[in-house]
Formats: sequence, structure tokens, C-alpha cells
Amino acid sequence: MTDTRELTDFEAVILPHLDAAFNLARWLLGNEEDAQDIVHDSFLRAHRYFASFEGGDGRAWLLGIVRNTCMTSLRSKRRFEPFSELPEQPQRSEDVSADPERSLLLQENIASLRYCIESLPPEYREVVVMRELEELSYKEIAGVAGLALGTVMSRLNRARKRLEDCVSKALKGTAA
Amino acid sequence: MTCDSVREMLGAYLDGELDANAQFQMRTHLAECPDCPVVYRRLSSLKDRIREGDLHYSAPPELASRIRTSLRKARNTEPAAGTAFQPWMAIAASVLVAVLLGLGVYLLRRGTNSELLVQEIVSSHVRAMIGTHLVDMPSSDQHTVKPWFDGKLDYSPPVKDLKDQGFALVGGRVEYLNNRRVAALVYRRRKHVINVFVWPTTRSTQPTKVDTLNGYNVVRWVAAGMAYSAVSDLNTKELRELAELLIT
Repeated sequence: MTDTRELTDFEAVILPHLDAAFNLARWLLGNEEDAQDIVHDSFLRAHRYFASFEGGDGRAWLLGIVRNTCMTSLRSKRRFEPFSELPEQPQRSEDVSADPERSLLLQENIASLRYCIESLPPEYREVVVMRELEELSYKEIAGVAGLALGTVMSRLNRARKRLEDCVSKALKGTAA
Repeated sequence: MTCDSVREMLGAYLDGELDANAQFQMRTHLAECPDCPVVYRRLSSLKDRIREGDLHYSAPPELASRIRTSLRKARNTEPAAGTAFQPWMAIAASVLVAVLLGLGVYLLRRGTNSELLVQEIVSSHVRAMIGTHLVDMPSSDQHTVKPWFDGKLDYSPPVKDLKDQGFALVGGRVEYLNNRRVAALVYRRRKHVINVFVWPTTRSTQPTKVDTLNGYNVVRWVAAGMAYSAVSDLNTKELRELAELLIT
């Protein structure tokens, strides 16, 4: 039956990119539950449109669908996290390994990074996540987000500038 | 390069997204400029920290199984469930079905008309090839073949001998095709026999169509009020050549 074969193809080509899909949705939507729902819906949508997939990079194709579903959901909910000046105090781990100073510093660093990426507007956040976490090329990002190559470059620049400012401010805040 | 333009491109440089020439210019500038390398190191350190930070979220294992289950369900009950059934949907659906049905029938008929003709053309060719009835009027002389059609058809098909161009006229016969009597001109190219069917049409022009059926190629075109169909086991490139020769 062609249906069965099609589903097997879909599961072989698209399902392996579940982590990438979830990562993008989780970063864009800001919480676990919404991310799960959107990724679930995106996969059903992807399956419906699978006939239009022309081969090539299944991950970029899937991320395009996830990205659009996320943006639609964000726009309809207008749920942007309220901006708070400082990150939450990073959780201090029980297990402090060999170099407690360094380990603590690293955790503070990560917490502020996480916070700062979350504070970016979604248009900036998505390019950072796709570039730095998914390691997509500019061309792939342009395809996924429907942007011109130059726009990808300038958005990444601005996003990184904001991140730098935010991280250094945040670290000064916790140090004080 | 100015510092401003360098800073615009620092990110792309860091990401390895610049072409060799731009990369070289960036390297040169960074080696000479006192300020830009500071910005570059900041950017590069940010990138490293993001990478080391392990900020990647992994999908919970139950999500994969949830998706698999839904995919199987979606396959079994194709029209997506989830919206409550509304009475207006029934009306909308039946209107849609009617429209699609009409469209489908229209497309089907349109499709088969052309397909049927190609089938007819090919079987005429095959019949002529396997029988003894390839030509009624065996002659390589166009001035013999052309008058021969007079009285057998209600139109006078153009007849050309193209021996010098590699298509030798073998003769002519009358076929019944497309619900009418049509002229069949028979040409030979090397070992290949080509049947060219000609009948008058009201269409002034039509793009050349190429079809392949059961290993036979069919090239159809319209010129000077006549519809032509050339059929043969000869390749389409040479069939098109013949078409060009017959048009001019």
C-alpha cells in the first residue's frame, strides 16, 4: 500500500529531526508544553504536505513548518515574556566538582545566556537558535524563515550585539 | 575596507559565510586595525560560550510516540478530525464534491481526447507497418502523389519530397483517423518508416506536441491550416527536424 510506504518514508526522513524541531519551538515559544503541542501539530502538517517535499534536507524543510507554526501561534497569542531587568539567580548545584569557582561561574554564564536569548524578540531569537544551536547555514536560515540572505546576516548581527550587551549587564548584576 | 563595513561582516566572517575574497580582505583588515580585533574577539567568545553552554533542548521521549500514534491515526481517518461537525459543512462539502466532479470529468475528457488521438495515430502506424498496406500510391515523386489524393479527399494536402534532407518520400495512402479520411504521407529515414497524417484544421497555430506511446514517438503540429502528426520509431529529434522541413 502506498500509504504505508509513504508513512514509512516520512518517519525515516522527517522524524529523526524531532529534536531540532523541538529545540526551535521550545526557544521560540518559551515553554515546554506549548512547544510539545506545536511540534506535534507541525509533524501532522508536515505529513500532510509530505508530497511537496522534493527531497534534499529534511531538517530544513521541517524547521520551516515548525517555524511558521510557532510564529502564527505567537502572533495570535501575542504572548511575549514580560521583560525583567535581571535574570533569576542561577540554581546552585549540590555537586560542585573539582573547581567550585569555575563551575559556579560557568553556571551563571549559562543562565544569563539562556535568559538573554529568551529576551530577544522572536525574529532575532530564531536566527540565533538556527545558527548557533542548529548550526544551519545562512542560506538554510533564509529558506526556513523566508528571509533574504542579507536580512539573515543583519539580523544575526543585531541579535549578537544585543546578546553581548545583555550578557555583560546580567553578569555585572549578579556579581554586584 | 572601513571599520564600519568590517563590523557589518564580522559575524558572517566568524560563521565562515564569506567568499574567499571577502575573507582575505577581512583577515587583512583585522591584522592592521587596532580596534576591530577587540570586537571580533568579543563576538567569537560569545559564540563559544553559547556552544559550550549546551543550550539545546531535547524533545521528551513521549513526544515521539505521541506523534507516531497521531500519524497512524491521521492515515486511517484521512480527513483531519478535530473540528466539530457543523451542518453547513455538509452543504459546503457537497457543493465542493459537485464542482470537483465536474472539473474532474472535464479534465478527464480533455485529457482522453488528446490521448485517444495519439493512440489512434500510433495504431494506424502499426497497422500500416505490419500489414501490406503501407502505401496506396507508391511513388517518390511529389507531383505524382499530390494529384493522387484529389478525389479521394475533400482537401489537398501539401506533399513534399525531402530526399535531399534525408527523408525520402515513399508514397501516400488514405487513412481513417480522428473521425475523418486523412492523407497519410509515408517517408523513410535510414531504416525507419515515418507516417505523416495531414488533415485541415481551423486552428491557426498550436505549439508542437511530442508524445511517446508503446515505443513510438508522435510529433504533432499545425501549419498553414493543416494539422500534422508524424509517427515513427525514429527519435523525436529527427521527427522534429522533419516537422521543420514540412513547415518551411
